[in-house]
Amino acid sequence: MSGGMERRGFLKAVGAGGAGAALAGCATDKVESLIPYVTAPEEITPGVATWYASVCGECASGCGIRVRTREGRAVMIEGNPDHPLSKGGLCSRGVAALQGLYHPDRLAAPRRAVAGGFEDISWDEALDALAERLGGASRALFLTGRQGPAEGDLLNRFVEAVGGTRLTFDPLDDVALRAAVDIGFGVKALPRYDIASARQLVSFGADFLETWLSPTAFAADFAAMHGLDHGEKGRFVFVGPRLSLTGQNADEWIPARPGSEADIALAIAGELVRNGTSAGPYTELVAGRSLAAAAAAAGVAEGALAALAVRFAEGGVLALGPGLAGSHGAAAAANLAVLVLNAAAGNVGETIHIPDAPDREAASPHGDLVEALSMMRDGAYGVAVTAGANPAYALPPAAGFREAFGAVPYKVALASVMDETAAMADLVLPVAHPLESWGDSEPAPGAYAVRQPVMSPVPLFDSRATGDVLIETGRRLGHDFGAASLREHVRAAAETRLDALGVSAEDGEVRWHSLLRTGTAAAAGSAASGSPASASAPAARRALQAPNTAAGFGAPALEGAGDLALLVHPSARFGDGTHADRPWLRELPDPVSKIMWQSWVEMNPAAAERAGIRREGEIVRVSSEHGALELPVWFSPGIREDAVAIAMGGGHENHGDFASGLANDNGVNPMTLLPAAADEQSGALSLVSVRVTVSPTGAWERLASTEGTRDAQHHQDDRRIALAVAMSALGHGEEDAGEHEGGHGQLQELQEGGGFIPVPTEGRAADFPLPGSDFGEYGQEHPRWAMVVDLDKCTGCSACVTACQAENNIPWVGERETQNGREMHWLRLERYYETVDAAEAGPLDVRFLPMLCQHCNNAPCEPVCPVFAAYHTPDGLNAQVYNRCVGTRYCANNCPYKVRVFNWYRYVSENVKEPLNWQFNPDVTVRDNGVMEKCTFCVQRIREAGNRASVEGREVRDGEIRTACQSVCPSEAIVFGNVKDPESAVALAAADERSYRVLDELINTQPAVHYLKKATFHDVDEGGH
Amino acid sequence: MATADLGKRGALPNPDVETYGEVNRDILKVLSRPGKGWWILFGLALAGVGLFLGSWFVQIVRGIGVSGLNAPVGWGVYITTFVFWVGIAHSGTLISAILFLFRAPWRQSIYRASEAMTVFAVMTAGLFPLIHVGRVWHAYWLVPYPNDRFLWPNFRSPLVWDVFAVTTYFTVSAVFFYLGTIPDLAAARDQARGLRQKFYKIVSLGWRGTDREWHHFSKAYIYLAALATPLVLSVHSVVSWDFAMSIVPGWHTTIFAPYFVAGAIFSGVAMVITLVVPMRKYFGLEKYLTVKHFEAMAKLCLLTGSIVLYAYLVEYFLAWYSGEPPERGSFWNRAFGHYWWANWTMLTCNGLVPIMLWFKRVRRSIAALFVISIFINIGMWFERFVIIVTSLSHEYEPWAWGLYRPSLVEMGILVGSFAWFGFWFLLFTRLLPPVAIAEMKEVVPPPLRGKAPADEAGAAAPAGSAT
Repeated sequence: MSGGMERRGFLKAVGAGGAGAALAGCATDKVESLIPYVTAPEEITPGVATWYASVCGECASGCGIRVRTREGRAVMIEGNPDHPLSKGGLCSRGVAALQGLYHPDRLAAPRRAVAGGFEDISWDEALDALAERLGGASRALFLTGRQGPAEGDLLNRFVEAVGGTRLTFDPLDDVALRAAVDIGFGVKALPRYDIASARQLVSFGADFLETWLSPTAFAADFAAMHGLDHGEKGRFVFVGPRLSLTGQNADEWIPARPGSEADIALAIAGELVRNGTSAGPYTELVAGRSLAAAAAAAGVAEGALAALAVRFAEGGVLALGPGLAGSHGAAAAANLAVLVLNAAAGNVGETIHIPDAPDREAASPHGDLVEALSMMRDGAYGVAVTAGANPAYALPPAAGFREAFGAVPYKVALASVMDETAAMADLVLPVAHPLESWGDSEPAPGAYAVRQPVMSPVPLFDSRATGDVLIETGRRLGHDFGAASLREHVRAAAETRLDALGVSAEDGEVRWHSLLRTGTAAAAGSAASGSPASASAPAARRALQAPNTAAGFGAPALEGAGDLALLVHPSARFGDGTHADRPWLRELPDPVSKIMWQSWVEMNPAAAERAGIRREGEIVRVSSEHGALELPVWFSPGIREDAVAIAMGGGHENHGDFASGLANDNGVNPMTLLPAAADEQSGALSLVSVRVTVSPTGAWERLASTEGTRDAQHHQDDRRIALAVAMSALGHGEEDAGEHEGGHGQLQELQEGGGFIPVPTEGRAADFPLPGSDFGEYGQEHPRWAMVVDLDKCTGCSACVTACQAENNIPWVGERETQNGREMHWLRLERYYETVDAAEAGPLDVRFLPMLCQHCNNAPCEPVCPVFAAYHTPDGLNAQVYNRCVGTRYCANNCPYKVRVFNWYRYVSENVKEPLNWQFNPDVTVRDNGVMEKCTFCVQRIREAGNRASVEGREVRDGEIRTACQSVCPSEAIVFGNVKDPESAVALAAADERSYRVLDELINTQPAVHYLKKATFHDVDEGGH
Repeated sequence: MATADLGKRGALPNPDVETYGEVNRDILKVLSRPGKGWWILFGLALAGVGLFLGSWFVQIVRGIGVSGLNAPVGWGVYITTFVFWVGIAHSGTLISAILFLFRAPWRQSIYRASEAMTVFAVMTAGLFPLIHVGRVWHAYWLVPYPNDRFLWPNFRSPLVWDVFAVTTYFTVSAVFFYLGTIPDLAAARDQARGLRQKFYKIVSLGWRGTDREWHHFSKAYIYLAALATPLVLSVHSVVSWDFAMSIVPGWHTTIFAPYFVAGAIFSGVAMVITLVVPMRKYFGLEKYLTVKHFEAMAKLCLLTGSIVLYAYLVEYFLAWYSGEPPERGSFWNRAFGHYWWANWTMLTCNGLVPIMLWFKRVRRSIAALFVISIFINIGMWFERFVIIVTSLSHEYEPWAWGLYRPSLVEMGILVGSFAWFGFWFLLFTRLLPPVAIAEMKEVVPPPLRGKAPADEAGAAAPAGSAT
C-alpha cells in the first residue's frame, strides 16, 4: 500500500504488538520500545496464529469469541464453541469488532474542550481534572451502558463512593419485557427462552435473530428447533406488521396491525382457557376475550387466529416477544399478554424460565431518564459522566437530552470515538476497546465467561479501560476498590465466581489459566455446554401471579394525523447506531432490504402507489409532528399497507467519518420523528408511537442494493436457484425424489413448441453419471473440497459475509461504487420472495441462499481466461492467480453464478486507512487494481491444515478445515470437507435427498457446492422443466 | 491486368473520363495543397485524438473503474466499439480482395478508400482490447512469446484466438493495401516536388512501370488477394466466437459466425459509403465515383442487411424454441427490458431503414444512400451494444442482474476512436491517391491514335504509371 506502512513501521508494530501479547494482562502497561525477535516472545511464532478466547463486547449479549492473532495483532474473530450461549456462532457486528479496534477515528489521547474545539492532554491531567470535579461538592450523574458483572460492580461501587447517581442507558434492552416479568412473576429480570426445546414457535414481532436479547444464541437454538432433522421440523409463525429478518424466516405470517399483540395473545389464551387450561390469575380476564374481536383489532382474518389457537392447544408452542417491535404506549401490557399466553400454554418452566434474581444490569426506564434530564436542566448535577452510551444520538431530540446535558457545568464522556455525546463534553477520555480490556459475563445461570485482552492496546490510541479509569480516579480521591487494576479486579471476581460454581481449585493458577484458555467455566456437574435451560435447572417453578399494578390491556394510541404507522426498529447491522462507523457493516447489505450505506423507508408498493410514489428509490418526505426526513423509498412486500418502517443507525453527526457522512451518505436518524413518549407501566421508550405522512419529493436516488434489477420483482423467474421441497414430499425414497428434481434424474427431450418432456427409459440418468461430475477429474489420491449449505437452516443473517470479508482482506468500496454494483463481497446472501402476502395471513416462503464461488469441476471461467489466471487445482479448487490476471473480465462474464468480483480501483490503498489495514490477514494476498478475485474456499486454511497434517505425518481430519463463513455461522448451516471421503460430514450431507446443485442440471457446471433444499410445510411447485 | 478483357467482363467504363492524363491530374490534385475544410477536420481529429489519449491516460492512472463497467456487465462500450471497428474493417478486404478475385467491375474506384479504411479501422480496433483490460501493462501476456518460465497463453481461450485473428488481419490487409498503392505512389512521385517527392520516392520502392514489374505486381496482388479472402470470413468468425464460445444466454449461439461476418460486411460497406460520399464531393471525384458504383454498394448492403435481419429473427425464434428460461428471459429482456431502446434502435436502423434499398431510386440517390449508411453505422454499433450489454445484464442468476451506464471516460474514448480513425483517414487523403490511378486507367478508353486530344495525353504520358 502506497503511503501506508513502511518496513520500519511494520517491524516496530510487530515487535511492540508481539511483546504486548506476550505480556497479555498488563493491558495498561504500554509497550513502546522496539523489541527485536532476538528476544522472541514465548507465545509468538512468526507465521503461526495464536488464538485467545474472550467475550464479545459489541452488544450486551456477550457471546463467546475466539480471536486469531498473528504476530501480536488481532486479525480475525470467530465464535467460541465452548460458550454455553453462542455455541460457536457469531454475528456480523461481532466480527466487525476488529474494525472498532483498529478504527482510524478512535481517540488518540484524552481531550479537553477549549474555545472552538478540543486539545489533547495527558492521562494524568485528565484524571486529575476528573478527580477534582468528582471530589467537589456537586452531585454527579453517571449515564452508562450495560456492563459485565465485574465492571458493573466496580462502577456501582465507584458511583456510591463519589456519591453520584447511576442511570443505565441501552436502547436495545427490553425494558418492557423486564417490567412485564416483574408484574407477572415478581422479579425484575428477563426470562430465559429455550427455543431449541419448543416444538413450535410464535413471535409477536420480536426480532430474535437480529437484535433481541441474544440473537446469536437464539439463531443456534432456532436452527435446532426449525431446521429439518430426521424429517421433522418445528413450525414458526410470525405475528406482526412488518417482516424483519426474523419474520422472513417464518413459515406463516399473520400480518397484524402494530399494537394488536395483546389482543391476539389474550384471545388465544382465552381459547386455551375455554379448552380447560389455566392462565393463573388472568384466567377470568382472558376467558372473555374473543378471537373475532382480536382479529378485528389486528386487521386479519379470524380463521388465521383460530388456526394459531389450535396450534397452541396442541402444546409445545413457545410465544416470544413482542420485543422492540412492540415498544409502543402499551408495551408492558403487550409483553405481559404474551407471558400470560405462555403461562396458559404451559410453557413457564418448560421453554421459558424466570430467573430467581433480578438482572444486575438493566436499562433504566425512560421515566428515570426524564427525571434526570429535568434535574440536569435545573442544575442539580455539577458533573455528568457518560460511558459506553451515546444518548445525544440515540434519544429522540424531543427528549431534550442535548439541552439538559449542555446545562451541566462539567461533562465527561468516556468514549472510543468522538460521538455526538462526546462532542458536547468538556473532557473526553478514550476508552479501550473490549478486545484490549478485561471483563467478564454471566451468559447463563451456572456459567461464567471471562474477557481478556487479545493484544496490547493499539499503540496509536492512548486508551484505557473504563474500569481502570475508575480505579485510577478512585485512587486520586482516596477510594480503594480492592484492586490495583481492572485485571486484578476481574481476576478476583472470577475467582469468587469459580468458587461459587464449585470449579475445583487445587491450583488457583491452573484454574485461572484454564478459564482464560477456554474462555468459559460452568458449574461443576452441570451440563453447562448444553442449553442454558438445563444449566439453570430452577428448583421451584415460578407461577404467574396477580398484578401488583393496574395492568390494562388497551390498544396503544398512535399520535399524529398521518395515515401510516411509523415502525422504528433496531438495525441488524448497527444496533441502535453504535456500529454505524464500521465500513464492513455499512457495506454489508441489510439482511432485509439488501441496501448498503444508505437509509431507506420501507413501504408496501400498494401504499406507495396510493401516496403517488411510482418508483423505488424516489426520495420521499416522511413527516410527523416532531420532524420530517427525506430519504429514498424501498418497496417491500413484507410490510402492511398501513405502516412504514425506518431502521435506526443512520444520520450520525459525529461518530467518525464513516458514520457521519464525510465519505458517503450517512442516512437519516428516525428518532427525529418520534416524540419522547414512553410506556407508562414499564417506562420503555416508545419506538412505535406516531403516524406519519409520506409524500414524494420528485427526486430520485439509486439505491445501493445488491439485489439485481427489479424487473424480476424479487422472484427467481423460473431459474431454480433457491429451491424448496414440501415436507410431505420428503422421505419417499429416491425414485420419487428423482421426479421432483426434474434434472439429471430424468432423461428429457425437446418437444414441439419449446420446452422439454421426460422420456421413458430403462435406467435413470443418475445411473450414468458424467465423468468427474461429483469428484472432479483428478485421481483418487487428491481430495475434492466441497461444501454443503443447508437452506433450511440458513436464516440470512449475513454473518458469513462479514467473516469472509475479514478473513480474506476484501476491501469495501463505498456508497457510490456499490450503487454501481461494484461491491467486492466474495459471498453474498440472495433473498428470493416466493410467497409473501401482507394483505392476509397465510403461508410465507422467503428463501435465503448464500452464493459463493461454486468451485465447478466443469468451470466456465477457466477455459476462457487467456492467460491461465483461472485454473483448476488437483484438489478441486477453482483457483485464481492474481499475479497472472490481466483483467479481461471474460471469466466473470462467463460465470453463471456471478461470483467473481473485479478490482475496479485501488480499493485497498484508497479506502483502507491506517490502522484499519492492521487487521489484514497475513496469509492472504492484498489484491491491487485491475485483477479479478473470488472465493477461494479459504485456501489459506486448507493449506495450513494440509501442512500441519503432513508435518504430523497424517491425513487431514474431517472437520479440521473450517472456512471463515462456516466458522461464524450460528445455525451451522455450512459443512465443508473432502467429498471424496465417503465418511466425511460433507459427503454424507451431499448425499441427502434434499441435495441439489444450482444450475447444474441446465449447464453442467458440476459445482462443488451442494445446497440442501429448504423444507416447507406448504406444497411448493418447483416447476422443473 | 488484361485491359483488353475489360469490355467482355462488363466493366463500368467511365464515359466522363477521357484520357489517362485526366486521371492523373484529377486524382493527384487531391494531394496538392489542402483546403480550409481539410484543416478544420484535421484539427478536430487531432483534438479528438487528444481526448482519446487523455481519457485513456486517466483510466490507466486511476483504474478501469472510471468506466461504467460493473458486475455483471464486465464488457461494455469498449468491446462494443472493438467489434464495431473490426466489422468496419471487413468491407475493405471484401471489396479489394474478394471482388477482385470475382472480377467485380465496380470495385476499381472505391477499393483504395475502403482498403485504407480497413487498415485504419483495424488500427483503431486493435487498441480497444488494450484499453479494455484491467492491467494494460501486462497485456503482452496474451501473446505467446518464449520465456524462461514456460508460461504460455491459454490456447483454449477465444481471446487468444482474437489476438491472432486481429494481428493477422492487420498484417495482411496492411501489406495488401501498401502493395496496391505502389504504382500510384510512383505516379505521385513523378508529379511531386521537394520533400514530398523524397517521401514518394522512398515509399514507391523505385517503381518504374516496366512490364516485368507489372508482371510481378499482378502475381503478388492475386496471391495476396487469395490470402486475404479467407480472412474476411475467418477474422470476424473468430471475433464472434469471443461470444459464441461462452455460456452467456444471448451469446452462446451457433449462428454467430455467419451472422457476424454478414454484419461486418454490412457495416463496412455502409462506412465506405459514409466516407466516400463527402470525399467524392470535396475532391471533385464525381467522374470516378459514379452513381453506378454506389448502386452496387447499395445492393451489397441490401444482401448483407437481409442476412443480418434474418439472423435477428432466428435468434428470437431459437430462444423461444429452446424452452430454457434463461435463454427466453435474455431475449425477452432484449426486446422489452431496460435496454429496449437500444434493441429497437438496432432493429430500426439495421432492419427497417435498409428496406428502402429495395427501391432503385433510393439506391441511385447519393444523398439517400449517405443518410441510410449513417443509420446503418449507428445500428451496427448498437447491435454489438445490444448483444454485449443486454446479454450480460440479464444472465442466469436473477439476483445478479444489473445495469450498466457508460461513463464520460468511455464516451471520450468512443468519440476519440472516431477521431483517431479520422486522423489517419485524413492523412491518407492527403498523402495517397484516394482512388487507384492505375486501375482507373484500366477502365478509361485506351489512348488510341487519332482519338486522344494530343495536349493532355502528351503531358501525362511520361508518368510511367500505366502501360
